[in-house]
Amino acid sequence: MNTTRALVPILQLLLVFVGGPLIVGVIRKVRARLEGRVGAPIHQPLRDLRKLFAKERIAPEHASWVFVIAPAVLMTSAAVTAVLVPMVSTVSPFAQVSDLVTITALLLLGTVALALGALDPGTAFGGMGASREMTIAALTEPTLLLSVAAISILTGTTNLPGAINEIIDRPGSVSSIGYVLALVALGIATLAESTRLPVDNPNTHLELTMVHEAMVLEYAGPDLALVETGSSMRLVIFLGLLANLLVPWGIATGSGVAELAVGTLTFGLKIGVLAVALSVFEVFTAKVRLFRVPELLALSLVLSFLGVITSVVHP
Amino acid sequence: MSRSAYADLLNLLAGIALVAAVLTLWRRKLIAIVRLLAVQGAAVAAVGILIGIDNDSATEIVLASGALVLKAVVIPLVLLRVVRRGSETRETEPLVNVSASLVAAALLITIAFATTRAVVSLSDSPEAGVIPIGFAIVLVGFFALATRRKAPAQLVGFLLFENGVALVAVLAAAGVSSVVELGVSLDVLLAVLVLQVLTARMQDQFDSLDLDHLQELRD
Amino acid sequence: MSFAEVSATAAMVVGAVAIIAAFSIGDARRRALVTGVLTALCGFSGLLAASGVLATGRPVHAEFPHLLPFAGLSFRLDPLGAVFVLAVGGVVTAAAVYGIGYTRDHLSGRSFQALVPAFALTLLLVPAASSMGTFLVFWELMALTSLLLVLAEQRRSPEARDAAMWYGVMTHLGFIALLLMFSLLAAHSGNGSFLAIERSSSSMDPALRSLVFILAVVGFGSKAGMVPLHAWLPRAHPEAPSHVSALMSGVMVKLGVYGIVRVGFGLLGGGPSWWWVVLLVLGAASALFGILQAIASSDLKRMLAYSTTENIGLILIGVGAAGLFTTTGHPILAAAALGAVLLHVINHAAFKALLFLAAGSVVHGAGERNLDRLGGLMRRMPVTGAMFALGAVAIAALPPLNGFASEWLLLQSLIHGADSQALVVAIAVPLAIAVVALTAGLTAATFVKATGTGFLALPRSPAAEAATESPRSMLVGMGFLASVCVLLGVGVGVLGAGIGRAVAAVGGVRKPAPFRVHGSTLSPPWQVVGTSMALAAALVLGVGVIMVLLRFLPSGGRRRRADNWGCGRTQQTARMEYTASSFAEPLVRVFDDVLHPDLDIDVTHRQESQYYVEKIRLRLGIKDAFEERLYRPVLNGIHAWGIWARRLQNGSVHRYLGYAFAALIILLVATR
Repeated sequence: MNTTRALVPILQLLLVFVGGPLIVGVIRKVRARLEGRVGAPIHQPLRDLRKLFAKERIAPEHASWVFVIAPAVLMTSAAVTAVLVPMVSTVSPFAQVSDLVTITALLLLGTVALALGALDPGTAFGGMGASREMTIAALTEPTLLLSVAAISILTGTTNLPGAINEIIDRPGSVSSIGYVLALVALGIATLAESTRLPVDNPNTHLELTMVHEAMVLEYAGPDLALVETGSSMRLVIFLGLLANLLVPWGIATGSGVAELAVGTLTFGLKIGVLAVALSVFEVFTAKVRLFRVPELLALSLVLSFLGVITSVVHP
Repeated sequence: MSRSAYADLLNLLAGIALVAAVLTLWRRKLIAIVRLLAVQGAAVAAVGILIGIDNDSATEIVLASGALVLKAVVIPLVLLRVVRRGSETRETEPLVNVSASLVAAALLITIAFATTRAVVSLSDSPEAGVIPIGFAIVLVGFFALATRRKAPAQLVGFLLFENGVALVAVLAAAGVSSVVELGVSLDVLLAVLVLQVLTARMQDQFDSLDLDHLQELRD
Repeated sequence: MSFAEVSATAAMVVGAVAIIAAFSIGDARRRALVTGVLTALCGFSGLLAASGVLATGRPVHAEFPHLLPFAGLSFRLDPLGAVFVLAVGGVVTAAAVYGIGYTRDHLSGRSFQALVPAFALTLLLVPAASSMGTFLVFWELMALTSLLLVLAEQRRSPEARDAAMWYGVMTHLGFIALLLMFSLLAAHSGNGSFLAIERSSSSMDPALRSLVFILAVVGFGSKAGMVPLHAWLPRAHPEAPSHVSALMSGVMVKLGVYGIVRVGFGLLGGGPSWWWVVLLVLGAASALFGILQAIASSDLKRMLAYSTTENIGLILIGVGAAGLFTTTGHPILAAAALGAVLLHVINHAAFKALLFLAAGSVVHGAGERNLDRLGGLMRRMPVTGAMFALGAVAIAALPPLNGFASEWLLLQSLIHGADSQALVVAIAVPLAIAVVALTAGLTAATFVKATGTGFLALPRSPAAEAATESPRSMLVGMGFLASVCVLLGVGVGVLGAGIGRAVAAVGGVRKPAPFRVHGSTLSPPWQVVGTSMALAAALVLGVGVIMVLLRFLPSGGRRRRADNWGCGRTQQTARMEYTASSFAEPLVRVFDDVLHPDLDIDVTHRQESQYYVEKIRLRLGIKDAFEERLYRPVLNGIHAWGIWARRLQNGSVHRYLGYAFAALIILLVATR
């Protein structure tokens, strides 16, 4: 039993590491099909990564060690979060540590690292991307933490495996409007933090519309591969979190091999469905103007605040 | 239906009504605001229908359906006509900007929940638990009424306020007042028709539906 | 004598020797060195004394009945005060070592060198005071020594005089409030000692207790830099020499918090809910206002000063929440909130002092304080840059450093406390969570701005280009604080038991029992020591592993340096970089209803044609909203009143005699 328990973090890490680019591939494929194109195969992002790792390492002349270390920090924070968030199973050696507040802070660490890495080369693109990204991150923090508060009020704990176990055991405790509001707010925050539409267009290369792309403009080769992987891992983590908070059934609550297999399959299924839904949503949505993004984030803040208030009044 | 399913559905409908009210503060396009009003009216009327089903009273169900048609179909259609007659289709910057309106809405909802706690504790029924949401809609509607610049958006605020009052009445009396409900809705329809004529005159006079122009009507 | 007593005595003795040495040594460089070393030893002994008290939980007493007329001096260092003395001791040690290199060239005068250990001694003694007289004497000495230190550089910058005036006036207005407060307490108990006051305060009239609390909030709050009494902070802290700023921002403002906690919980023994709601509201306002002003500021030290206001706001939110939980019957949550407060006091002292010392190093090495004119310092001043980056990560509450632990605990206590039957808690706590979360995000943005524009990329001015690294003693001072930040982040369990004892020493709050994560209880970080260590280890290991693995790639470890992608431009210059003001622009725009920025654009056209522009001047100014809306009308009102009151003085001797006669009659009638 103990060996399978120790296997869970490794399994989750591998799943997220490989699943990240695959999910990006799925989103691109669905989008292509809806737009009437054939689109690249789903595993194309993995091939891109292989190509990038083979390229030479370049750094700008004026950059310091911050530029060099930022992709590694982003990747590490994403990896640690992937280990902590229960995706395949709720039992893991780190279950005590897996806390919603900690996860929010780890994601912010990745964002800060990338923003500093963008400011180092000294280009205007990097400064612009970093400035916009930090604005969005700052305005998303209250939404994330208030949603965390609403979820923990309803499930009675901030510990993530504990909350998921609670939802599985007693679904009635979360069938309230507060929970729905909190998850909707969390969904909007997900779109903002993983730089998807309508907050940021991941396919644009026009400087006036870039946020995330502007930050990674100077990275090339293996560094770019790390940054891309880190970002896609964050997307998978967010989708996994939403999926497991909305529909947790299927996740393994023990550490038997059969349970883990079932957990892996259902996890893949859930994030696959969410990825397809995200892609369809992106096809039919336009990007919101940068100066209207705070209004969208204010809306998500109000929804998450409503989630907390209604959870307290309607226990 | 079972008590817990009834309570859940009641909460869900009331929650939809509240979220729709908050969303009208966020959207800028007048047509979208009117559509949100239709959704909100439908939710409020559906609460009446649900209470009627729970009480097994056919008259209530019929009356609530009538209110549904009025709130979700007729009134929004009239409003759409008002909007289309106007020269612009978007709400210009309201008196309080969008982000501040949303924050104000959050505070108003908090006030509503805080002040109706005493009412909620009077009774254990699921209807009593949803009354705070009704009050919240009333406050948000009044806020929208007071801070929008364009006439159609102000009308929407008034109608939100009206729907909130209707919701509280339906919940407090647990369905007895459906006749009153229908009567009030017809009165509201009359008010909307009168205001439609008024806005047509405004459009002719000022070529715009911005209410600030009414300040020019002075000696 | 116990370890704590020995260390405490040593601290006092060494401090006194330091003052004497400052006056007696002739050679300037030797004076700076010896005084610095002695002050550092004094601070370190204080730190040891405090850890002794925290480790055993037994207070240290000392009485000097004849040193002061009527009452004498009396000291009692209990675990609550020891937490603050711990912070003071640590920062004094680092600042003193730093001061050796910082002051040896231009600030090595006798009086300055003597004032620093004097200031340090008063900082160490205020939390230990246990009677009204002792407290007020050392409080005032602390204010005076720091005031003189703020004036130290007045010849170089005229703003220092203005800053000192604001500081002097506001600290003395606060002192008056404290004097009134202590007089009320002591009059009721008949004795000025804190123990006597504590025993008799429960029999005080509730209205009087509330008055005492309000006076305490006003008096201690102005020292802490709480809004709206904060106006002196962004003026005085930047103007003082950097190691003095570190002491003021890192520990002096905390003594304001100490006062509120001591009076509110200890001397008065708790109070009605509205007290704590007032503190929560003031704390939330300070936090939001402070961080918004910080993000809009381009002056490095002013930004750090406003950030201090923000952190004090967070601490006051914690204190308010703790009080609220006590009055509504959640003693465990109250203990957790108070534990978060004390932990944040120590953490903030560590990283704010580090940031101020690094800023001082930048000023010393590059001669510039304006972020819009700095840049490229990471390569020219690598150690300072790394220290600042570490401090920035700590203050942004990012794992694995110490800011994360205290913010985590504060958020946990608030989140678990949101679900409550009491209406006031159910409303106030979610609002508090929203404020704490928003300030956390904004702090991250502010310090990315500061680190990014100040240290990275290309230098924006010749001064920054010519920057050189600071002398070794300054680097050692910073290094000490940096290692404290890392230690407290990784092994916060070190402080755990001590903070538990400190919380228990605060009257009216129950000692936190061990509790677990599941259910509606929470687990304090000192019981999950493994957590923070595991996180830190995982993060550092992860980064290290990745960097090593990258060397095994086909392209090898070599990294080619090349020019940036230029989109067609020929040369990368510093003009193309984002400045601090442009970085902050989107956020300033979002919050422009609060900040009211004035944008002034001045376009000069060429002589020959209106279509050609010769020069464009842009000025972006952010004024302090409280100064505009609150201080200005009040000051104008006082000025107008003063002018009116001059009518009383018209030179006529008869009128003056008339005043005296009227006063005599009134006294006779009133006191019959």
